[in-house]
Amino acid sequence: MTDKPVILEGHALRKEFGGLVAVADVHIQVRAGSLHSIIGPNGAGKTTLFNLLTGTLKPTSGQVIFKGQDITGEPLHRRVHLGLGRSFQITNIFPSLTVLENVRLAAQALGGDNFKFWAHFKRFKQYTETAVYAITQVGLESQMHVPAVILPHGDQRKLELAILLASDAELLLLDEPTAGMATEQVPMLLEIIQRVRQTGDKTIMLVEHNMNVVMNISDRITVMHLGEVLAEGTPAEITQNETVQKAYLGELYGDFAEIIQEGA
Amino acid sequence: MLTYFANLSPQHRRSWGLVVAYVALLLAVSYVDFGYNTAGQTAFRGILLGMLVFMVASGLSLIFGLLDVLNFAQGAFLLIGAYVGYDVYTSLDAGTTVRFLAAIVSGVVFVGVLGAIMETGLIRPLYDRPVFQIVLTFGLAAVLLDLVERYYGPDPKQPLDPPGFLDNNFTLFDQSLSYYRLFIIFLGLTMMVGVFLLLNRTRIGIIIRAGVQDSEMVQALGINVRLIFTLVFVLGAALAALGGIALVPYQGATLEMGNQFLILAIVVIVIGGMGSYEGTAIASIVVGLTRAVAEQLSLEHFDAPVLAETSILLLMIVVLLVQPSGLFGREE
Amino acid sequence: MMSMIERTIYANTQKIKDPTLRGLAESAARLVLENWAYLLFVIVLWRFPYIVADLTDTEVQPRRPTGDSVFWQSEMARALALTCLAMSYNLLFGFSGVISFGHALFFGAGGYVTFIVLNEYDASYQQGALIVVIGITLILALFSRMNVRQLLIIALIGVLLTLLLMPGEGTLSFYQAIGLAVVASIAVSLISGVVTLRLRGIYFAMFTLALAEMFWVLAKSGTFRDITGAEDGLGFRDILPESFNPTPTFDGSRLDMYRLTVVFFVIVFIAIRRYLNSPVGRVMIAIRENEERARTIGYNTFYYKVLTMTFAGVIATLSGLLFVIWATDKRVHPEALSLKYTVDPLLNSLIGGIGTLTGPVIATLGLSLGETYLRNETFTLDTGLFGILTVWQLAVVLVVGLVWWLFRRPLQTGLRRVVDMVRRDTARAATFASGTHGHWALILGYYGLVVLLLLAVGLVIGSEIAHNLEFKGDVYNVSDLWELFLGILFVVVVMALPHGIVGTWNTFWANRRVRRLEQSAQQSAPKGNNSAS
Repeated sequence: MTDKPVILEGHALRKEFGGLVAVADVHIQVRAGSLHSIIGPNGAGKTTLFNLLTGTLKPTSGQVIFKGQDITGEPLHRRVHLGLGRSFQITNIFPSLTVLENVRLAAQALGGDNFKFWAHFKRFKQYTETAVYAITQVGLESQMHVPAVILPHGDQRKLELAILLASDAELLLLDEPTAGMATEQVPMLLEIIQRVRQTGDKTIMLVEHNMNVVMNISDRITVMHLGEVLAEGTPAEITQNETVQKAYLGELYGDFAEIIQEGA
Repeated sequence: MLTYFANLSPQHRRSWGLVVAYVALLLAVSYVDFGYNTAGQTAFRGILLGMLVFMVASGLSLIFGLLDVLNFAQGAFLLIGAYVGYDVYTSLDAGTTVRFLAAIVSGVVFVGVLGAIMETGLIRPLYDRPVFQIVLTFGLAAVLLDLVERYYGPDPKQPLDPPGFLDNNFTLFDQSLSYYRLFIIFLGLTMMVGVFLLLNRTRIGIIIRAGVQDSEMVQALGINVRLIFTLVFVLGAALAALGGIALVPYQGATLEMGNQFLILAIVVIVIGGMGSYEGTAIASIVVGLTRAVAEQLSLEHFDAPVLAETSILLLMIVVLLVQPSGLFGREE
Repeated sequence: MMSMIERTIYANTQKIKDPTLRGLAESAARLVLENWAYLLFVIVLWRFPYIVADLTDTEVQPRRPTGDSVFWQSEMARALALTCLAMSYNLLFGFSGVISFGHALFFGAGGYVTFIVLNEYDASYQQGALIVVIGITLILALFSRMNVRQLLIIALIGVLLTLLLMPGEGTLSFYQAIGLAVVASIAVSLISGVVTLRLRGIYFAMFTLALAEMFWVLAKSGTFRDITGAEDGLGFRDILPESFNPTPTFDGSRLDMYRLTVVFFVIVFIAIRRYLNSPVGRVMIAIRENEERARTIGYNTFYYKVLTMTFAGVIATLSGLLFVIWATDKRVHPEALSLKYTVDPLLNSLIGGIGTLTGPVIATLGLSLGETYLRNETFTLDTGLFGILTVWQLAVVLVVGLVWWLFRRPLQTGLRRVVDMVRRDTARAATFASGTHGHWALILGYYGLVVLLLLAVGLVIGSEIAHNLEFKGDVYNVSDLWELFLGILFVVVVMALPHGIVGTWNTFWANRRVRRLEQSAQQSAPKGNNSAS
């Protein structure tokens, strides 16, 4: 795994809010083709780190490097064109548009036809095809023409994934993809993530709160604590890491403690 | 005072520097161009205008800061205040001082009640549709203007005599001026300080300032934010009305006056930074001075005082380009 | 019924042997079948002068004294110009979520710029314009990320436009002046867009308001009387070419001009519809729905907003010019730049339904023609509407309605308690309140009760007031109170009918469709309990 090239790199990333250091000089490397998870308890700075990597927040210092190119100052829309797609922790879709239209817009963003204001959008069939393919991959094809608002929460999360897939990103950054989902639906979503990664030759980085989710599917895990990287390694290494155990066992972090005890 | 400057963020400190430099530049230009006396008169006019604008702008800024509603009806409040005040001032049968005080009280109370009705009845139901709030105040401004025109007629009202105790002249910069002008400045300063004290020294003020930061948090503390919203809306409306009444003995009452001052107030809060009280106060003076100097300049060189209108807008554009959130706005 | 006709027509097109012909026939059939309502409307508009002439037994062509048909032609033409203005406003506000309070600037510019360039044009301006074009290209080359090809295209278009619109010798023609007015409005849109659209929406609203008000003050002031004509405005009567001059003296051109207006309206409507259905329009709608998300799927939303603003600005400019051409005195007044022409399209979009195509058309035509129709009507305070409600009674109804509406929460709770009680008692005896129809009956009954109560109270108290106060002599003119009526309508629509007429209608049917889809989805998925708002 380690021989694959680094696709995304956070170099000495630091973010301060007022005087509060949310992320303190974090180095992180995501290798192409891997599924890399960032975990940590609430307030560990993992969402801030995520936002620094995606460009929603500007770092106080440090760089974000994507495929050897410094993208720290690039605006959000340019990052998508470079191949960096993201999802949101809170469902973030176009509510009154249909599922198909939600995904089709993501496909259209990357084509060169965005400013053709004289032609009907349905003429550009390639985007609709991409969208339909993405929707089929996440299994929403029966709800294609339904307005996105009326989808149940779990399906909206899937729609988010489909939007990401349609934008043809090489690197998918997922912010707590299972947030707010019913427990019995989580395995289904994980299966979709796995399938996407295998069939689409994509790199996935996800931020998770729920430990059970990441242990089985990740190649690498970065554990964050109080704005710093506590440990990084394969799931097996993480479960046996003593610092992680020390830092977490004392806290009321049930999921994590459970898993570590099971692994040990 | 010193702690205030010590606690300023670097951006705001830079803004202070810019403001001081700009005002110095304005004064220097007018001194060189018009000579000592005219420059002094212009500066005095500028400050006077600044105080009047502040009365509208402070309400606008407070309301926006707390309620997140840009109240386009603020100009209409000024207008109604002026007309009601004019009505009371001319129709009462008493000494000028009594009539003037009666005008102030009745105008402020009338507009305050109007503001309370507007906030509770019309704006409050729209809190989950913020775009419609803006649209509504915009439409209401048109309705109120129309009502005033219907009730008081389209003709402008002539300036009235100032109340007796202010009906004297004094000489400043070789120009004989009515004490009433000093009174307007005094009124503006009093309001500036009064509202500042209200915001910083009273319990309600602290709640308001906290609400400007994060109104949900304040609500979570068990405070009736809705009531505070209404109070601030009424306060803003009343301040605008006071400005309107203060204008009556100075330049009469015209239908255009509401929108004129609304535009000025908008420029002020954009320059000062929306929701920032000190920004509004400083920007009012800056805008007043700019306007007065530009008026004098265009009068002397082009014989076209209307060009001054453009100067204000130009100032706004420059500030927007340099500092998109205004001089003293919250940094984003 | 429609589907049966459809099937017959499509079945018949299948019989055509030649594939190209068949394709043509099919698309023609689809065009007619999908747009029959629009086509019908356009035909009515086109024949409108003749329809009025037949109804009122007057001449289509102007003869003195001018008859009803001629009068209504210009009224309809003016209404159509305002409709185009409202549609362009709706494109910005309803479809793109950009709140501009300075739309009147573009509307007024149509008349003012055309006239001013015609008057003030000098042949030497051509060189100046060429220098400006080269200068802009140089600035873009230095400060933007455009490539050589894009720069060349921009320079070429600039030079071509200059040569086309600005003659090197002689004077401007009317058409060139229109072209320059359009170019001016594009320039204003681009500049103000670049300055303010990056900022938060509220700053944009304030900026546009300030800008438009400033130009209004400039147009009104006596200082520039030579150029703008100050309060009197500028007269178009002498500069309009004969083919553009719908005054009663030009017999033939008046009807042609009316038709040209209808054509303009149709083109604007189609252009807006086309724009919304193009890739750009789709992105625009996405931006309205959720701008942050639009950015994170790769759209630079700023460009789309500027483009839409420019498009809307051009339409507004042209409709402003059209409005001047059809004005009775053929003058453009400072009023054209005033808030009125921002509030009016806003109001019309709101009443018709923001974010709908037909809403502004219906509302503007209805309101402006309605105003014309009622303009000379008078009423006294105690004859009132429909011969039943006097104005006093109506006022009481409105006041009581307002009170009910302000305190509807406590009142509703109280009423619901009563209704619940009744329902509990009747539920066992009959199926009245248990089925879905019972629900509707209950709502109908509830609102019916409220309305009846209001009416009753209004009638009683209103008649009392009317009897006690002797206001019977005063005669009021409808046109005097029209603006006030519009204002109140505005407030009522904002508060109570946020989707407007067409929007509410669409939402109703969309909700029904969604419910049906939901029901079918429920059979496959376990549960979907979120309903569409």
